[in-house]
Amino acid sequence: MENNATFTTHPNGGLKNTPRRQTEEEEDKEDRISAINKRKKIQFQASHTLLIAFFFWIFSLHALGIYFFTKGFLLTRLVLDSHSKCASSPIEFEQQGLRNSSSGCWHPKTFDKAVIIIIDALRYDFTVPVGSEHHHYHNALKVLYETAVEQPHNAFLLPFIADPPTATLQRLKGLTTGTLPTFVEFGSNFAGTAIEEDNLLRQLRAAGKNLVHLGDDTWHSLFPGYFDDNLTHAYDSFNVWDLHTVDNGVTEHIIPLLHHEEVEKWDVIIGHYLGVDHAGHRYGPDHPAMANKLHEMDVVLREIIALLDEQTLLVVMGDHGMDAKGDHGGESDDEIEAALWMYSKKSAFGRLNNDSITPPNNAKERPTAQIDLVPTLSLLLGLPIPYNNLGSPIAEAFVGTDQPDWKNLMTVNAISSGQISDYQRSYSLARGLDDGVFRSSNILREKAFRYWFNAVASNVLEKEFKVVFEMFTAYQKDTLRLYRSLWARFDVTSMVEGIAILFVAACVLAFYARSAALHGVEYIPVYLLQTGKYSVAGAILAGTVKIVDPSLVFMDSVLLGLGLGGVLGFGVAVTMTRAALKYDDLPIPSSVWGWLSVIFTLLQAIGFASNSYTIWEDEILLCFLSTFGVVALVSSFRQNSASVRSAGIAQSVLFLVLARISSLSRLCREEQMPHCKSTYYASSNSSTSAPWQLLIPLFLAITLPMIIKLYYVQTLSYKGPAVLWIGFTLRLGLLATAAFWILDAADDNDWFGDRKSIIRAFKMILARLTLGLAFVAGTTYYLWAKPCVSIEVSSRRNGADAPHDPPKKRITVVGYMNMHGSRYFLLVCNWIIALILVQKPMGAGAIGALVVQILALLEIADANNISQSAIGPVILGALGSFHFFKTGHQATLASIQWESAFIPLQTIIYPWSPMLVILNSFGAQILTTVAVPLLATWKQPPKSRGLLGSIAKAMATFILYHAIINLATTVWAAWLRRHLMLYRIFSPRFMTGATVLLLLDLIGILVAIGGVRSNFISVAEVFGW
Amino acid sequence: MDTNVSPPSTTTTVTPPLPKTRKLIPISQPIPILPTSLAQTYTHIHPILLLSLFYLRFPSLVSSPVPTLLSSLIPLSILQLSYAILCLPPSSTRHGLNHDPNDKSPGNNKIESPRPDQLRKRSTPKKDSPDHPFISRIIPALLSLTLTLSLSPPLLFTILILFGAPLTTHLPHTFLLATHVSLLAVLPLFYVHGVNARMWREISSAALPGDEVWGGTVGTMLGAWGGAVPIPLDWYVPLSAPSHFSSVWKVFR
Repeated sequence: MENNATFTTHPNGGLKNTPRRQTEEEEDKEDRISAINKRKKIQFQASHTLLIAFFFWIFSLHALGIYFFTKGFLLTRLVLDSHSKCASSPIEFEQQGLRNSSSGCWHPKTFDKAVIIIIDALRYDFTVPVGSEHHHYHNALKVLYETAVEQPHNAFLLPFIADPPTATLQRLKGLTTGTLPTFVEFGSNFAGTAIEEDNLLRQLRAAGKNLVHLGDDTWHSLFPGYFDDNLTHAYDSFNVWDLHTVDNGVTEHIIPLLHHEEVEKWDVIIGHYLGVDHAGHRYGPDHPAMANKLHEMDVVLREIIALLDEQTLLVVMGDHGMDAKGDHGGESDDEIEAALWMYSKKSAFGRLNNDSITPPNNAKERPTAQIDLVPTLSLLLGLPIPYNNLGSPIAEAFVGTDQPDWKNLMTVNAISSGQISDYQRSYSLARGLDDGVFRSSNILREKAFRYWFNAVASNVLEKEFKVVFEMFTAYQKDTLRLYRSLWARFDVTSMVEGIAILFVAACVLAFYARSAALHGVEYIPVYLLQTGKYSVAGAILAGTVKIVDPSLVFMDSVLLGLGLGGVLGFGVAVTMTRAALKYDDLPIPSSVWGWLSVIFTLLQAIGFASNSYTIWEDEILLCFLSTFGVVALVSSFRQNSASVRSAGIAQSVLFLVLARISSLSRLCREEQMPHCKSTYYASSNSSTSAPWQLLIPLFLAITLPMIIKLYYVQTLSYKGPAVLWIGFTLRLGLLATAAFWILDAADDNDWFGDRKSIIRAFKMILARLTLGLAFVAGTTYYLWAKPCVSIEVSSRRNGADAPHDPPKKRITVVGYMNMHGSRYFLLVCNWIIALILVQKPMGAGAIGALVVQILALLEIADANNISQSAIGPVILGALGSFHFFKTGHQATLASIQWESAFIPLQTIIYPWSPMLVILNSFGAQILTTVAVPLLATWKQPPKSRGLLGSIAKAMATFILYHAIINLATTVWAAWLRRHLMLYRIFSPRFMTGATVLLLLDLIGILVAIGGVRSNFISVAEVFGW
Repeated sequence: MDTNVSPPSTTTTVTPPLPKTRKLIPISQPIPILPTSLAQTYTHIHPILLLSLFYLRFPSLVSSPVPTLLSSLIPLSILQLSYAILCLPPSSTRHGLNHDPNDKSPGNNKIESPRPDQLRKRSTPKKDSPDHPFISRIIPALLSLTLTLSLSPPLLFTILILFGAPLTTHLPHTFLLATHVSLLAVLPLFYVHGVNARMWREISSAALPGDEVWGGTVGTMLGAWGGAVPIPLDWYVPLSAPSHFSSVWKVFR
C-alpha cells in the first residue's frame, strides 16, 4: 500500500519555449483545465443529487409499505379524554336528588369503603375445591369458595375472564378503565405509562376518597400521585425470584389499617399480592411452594374478613391466570381465567336463580368479564361509571338478597347502557365512523330504551323488568362485540399490500446493490425518469379507477398506486437499459464472501419466525459476527504479502475479541430469564450504573482517540484537520461525557449533599455543550475541513541528461491513499461524541467497542480485498443490530430508556426529546449507517472512477440488509398474528425493525450520502475533479 | 479551480512491486486412503462406529454431560487412532516420497504420485517397513494424539468462548467439547501432515484440497457450527450436543 502520491512538475511547464509563448500556453492550459473541472463538478453534483433522489424513492417505498402494513396490523384505539361527571347522569330523569356523592351519584350506593385485594395470577381453578387427583394448587385457598357457599348473601365467587394480553400492566388498565386493551393507544402521553383516560381511581379521587395502595409498584406508574403518601407502601415488582417481600409488606401494612382506630384514615385500600405470580414464574403452579403461597393467602384473607366492618366491601381477584408453566401474557384459556370474589359483612348479594348458588366448578360456566368490575364497583360505591367503560354491572351484586330484584337490575343496566351509548356516540364522532358499523347495536339500544321508558312510566309487572333488563344486556353485549372486532380485527388486505410494497422495494434494492453490470450512478437518471412517470400514472389510475383495492379511501389508493407504479417503472427502466447494454446478470453472489452475506441475512430473517430466535437475537448475532471473524482470519492467512497478512490476522482477532467483550454487556428481557444475567446496570433490578461503570467513559476518553490515531498513522493520514479533531475535539467531547455521567451519579447518590441543583444545572450545561460540539461545531468543521494530507515540496535536479534545466519541483502528498476515508471519518467522530453522551456508561463502552470494530472491519476488508463485496455492509449492519442490544436495549417497548430524553433537557421539548430517545435507542445502528461510505472509500484510491457508485452500492446493500430483516419481521408478525406471543415478541420486533429501517434510510441519505458530497468537493479542491 | 497544488504535468503513483499473486497458492495434494483392503473397508466402518458411540452415550450425555464427555474421550481417542493407523499414511512416509519424486520404492505407500513441490525441507526419509506396517504408524499416531491434546483444545476453547460460550459457568463442558472436536478434527491432520509450518499455514488458510481427512475436519467444524443452531430453542441443554452433531456430519462427508 502506497500512502503517498508524488507529483513532479517543471516550474516552467517543462517546455523549452520563449517565455511569452509559455505564459500564453500555460494560461490556455489553465483555462482548459478549469473548464474541464467546472464541467466535472457540475456532473458530480448532478449525479449526487440524483443519487439522493433515488434513495429518497427507496425511503418512500419503505414508508409506504410500513404504512399500509401498520394500518392493517396494529390494533389501535383512540383514547377519549372526556370524564364522567357525578352531576350528569346518562339517564336523565328519575335520578333527582341523587346527584351528590354522599348517597351515590347515578345510583344509590351500597358501600362506603372498599378493600380491593389483587392476588396476581390467581387462576380460577385455584379457588374451587377438587376431590380426587388434585395438584399442589388445589384445595389450598379455600376461603373464597367456602364463604360463597355458606353465606351466599355475603359473598359470591365467579370466573373472571381477562382480555389478552394477560400482562399485569395491561390488565390493570382494563380493570380500572373498563376498556379493551389494544396495542397502540393513541393519545397517551410521550413517556407514558400513566393512565390519562377516565378510570375508577380518578372517580374515587373526584368523590374525595382517600386511596391507599400496598404492593406491586406498577400502580404507581399507572396512577402517579393518586395515593395517600403516608399510608401507601409500594414494592418493586421486578424480582420474580422473591416470593415473599411484596406479600409480607402488603400484609404487614394492611392488617393495622383495618383495626377500627385506623379505619377513619382511608376510604379505599388496594393491596396487590405478587407471591402467587412469582411462585408460578419460578416453580410453576404444580409445586409445593405454590400450595404454601395459596395457603398463606387463605390465612391472610380470613384475617381480613374478621376485621372487616359492615360498610366495607371486600373484593379479591386475580388480574389474569397462568399457563401450565406458570407464565402468562398470552391468550390461552389458563391465562385468561382468573377468579373474582366479593364479600361483605352485610347481606348485599344474591343470585339470579337457585341453580347458581354454588360457584361454578370451572371457568367455562357463568364467566364474567374483567371489564365488568368497573361499572360494578362504581355503582356499588356510588360513583359515576368511567367514561370509556364498556363493561356491564355484575348481576350478583345488584340482584338483591331474596327474590331477584329485576327492577334494580334493569336500572343499573339502564345506567351503564346510557354511559356506553354516550361513549359510542363520541367515539364514532372522534374517529369519523359511519353509522353502519353500529347498526345492529343501535337497533337494540333504541328498543331497550323504548321499553325502559314504558316500564318506568307505568307500573308494570316484575316480569316486564326482567325483559327490559335482558334487552339492555343484549345491547351491551352487542356493543362490546362490535368494539372487540373493531379493535381486534386485522385488515389482512392492507397488511398484504404493505408486505408486497416492502418486498418489491427489497427486490429493487437487491438489483441495484448487487447486480454487477450496474455501476452505481450511471443509470440513475433513466431509473428515476421511468419511476417518476409510472408512479404518476399509477397514482392517477389507482386514484380514479380504484383498480387495486376498491375498499381503500382515495388518498390511500393514490399512495398505493404511486408505490406500485414506481416499482413497475423501475422494472421498465431496467429492461430498457438491459436491452441497450446486452448484459445479463442477476444479483446472485459469486464468492464465498457473497454467499456468507446471503446466508447470514437469510438465516437471521428465517429465525424471526421463532420466538426463541427472536428472544436470543443478541447471541445469534454474536455467533454470526464471530463466524465472520473466523472466516476473515482464515482468509487473512491466505494473503501472501506478510504485512497484509499480519494486518488481516491482527484485525480479525481484534474484531473477534471485541465482539465477545461487548457481549458481556447485557440487559435481559423478561423472556430470557432465568438464563440471562443483566449487567448493564449496577444490579438486575436497578436502572443506575455501578460506580465502577463510571470509569468506562473515562477510559474511552483516554484510549479511543489514541486507537483511532493508530489507524490514521498507518496511512500517514494523521495530518491537517485530523490532528485537531481526533487529538483534541474528540477527546474533549469524550471527557465532557465522562464528567457528565460522574455528575449524574453524584446527583443520584447524593455525593455532594445539598448542592444538588448546582450539579444538575452544571451537568445539563455540559451535556448541551457536548451536543453542540458534536453537531453544530462538528458539522461546520466537517463541511469546511481540508483533506487529512500534508503536502511536501522539494526541489531536485533532473540528473545528468539535462544539466541545464532548472530544478524540477517534486510535490509529495503525504496521506494520499486514504484521503477520502480519513476525511470522512471526521464526520463519524462527531457522531461518536453525541452517541456516547446519550448512552449510559456501559452503553458508552459498547459504542467505543463498535467504533474500533468498524475500523477493524475496514482494515479486514482492505487486507482481504473485499471492499466491493456485500459482506462489508452486511457485517456492518449486523454490528449495528448487535450493539443495539449491547447498549442496553431489547426489541421491547419496556426497554426504551425514556430518561435519556432528560440528558440535556429538564422538561420534554418537542422535537428534541423524542430525538434524544431515538439517538439513545438506535445509537449503534445510526453509527454504523454513518460509517457505510467508509467501506467503499477506506484506503481506496481517491481518484478512482466510480467511487461515488461504489458508495451508493455499499449503502444500498446496507439498507438491503435492514430491509430484509424488516420484511422478515413484518411477514412473520402477520403470519403469526394469532400467536400467543404476538404482543410480547413478534409485534415489538416488527416495530423495532420498521423504525430502524426508516431511521437508517433517512440517516443514510442525509448524513452518509450527504456527507460524502462535502468529501468529494474538498478533495477536488485540492486535486481537481 | 482553486488549487493548492498546481496541476501536475506528470503523475506517478508509486506502487510497490506486489507479490506475483495476492493469495496463497496451495501446494499440497489430496491424501488418499491407504490402498489395503483393510483400510478401504475400515474407512467406511469408522463413521458408523463414531455414530454408534454417539448413539450409545446420548441418553447419559443429556442427563450428566460432563462425566459422559470425559469418559467418552478414551473410546473416541482409540477410534480416531485406529482410523489413522489403519487408513491413513503418516506424514513421515509421505514426506519421504515427496523428497524424491523419482523414488519408486515399493511398499504400501506407492499409491501417491510424485509430488511436484520441492519446497519442503526434509529430514531423513523414513521408509515404511513392509514387515511391520502398523508398528511404524503407531508411534506417529501416538505423537499426533499428544500434539492434538496439548495444542488444540486450548485454542478451540478460546474460539468457543469467542462464539459466545459462557464465560463463567459450564467451563468443563466447553473444554471437553473443545477436546472432542480436537480429536475428531485435528488428530488426523497432525497424523498426515505432521508439524510442517507450510502445511499448517495451508490448514489455517483452509486451502487444502478436498480429501477424506480434510473433509472430516471441515465437516466437524461445520457440524459444530450447525450444532449451535438449536441452542436457543432449548437453552437448558448446554453446549455439549454440537460435538456429536459433528460426528454425524462426518458421516455425510
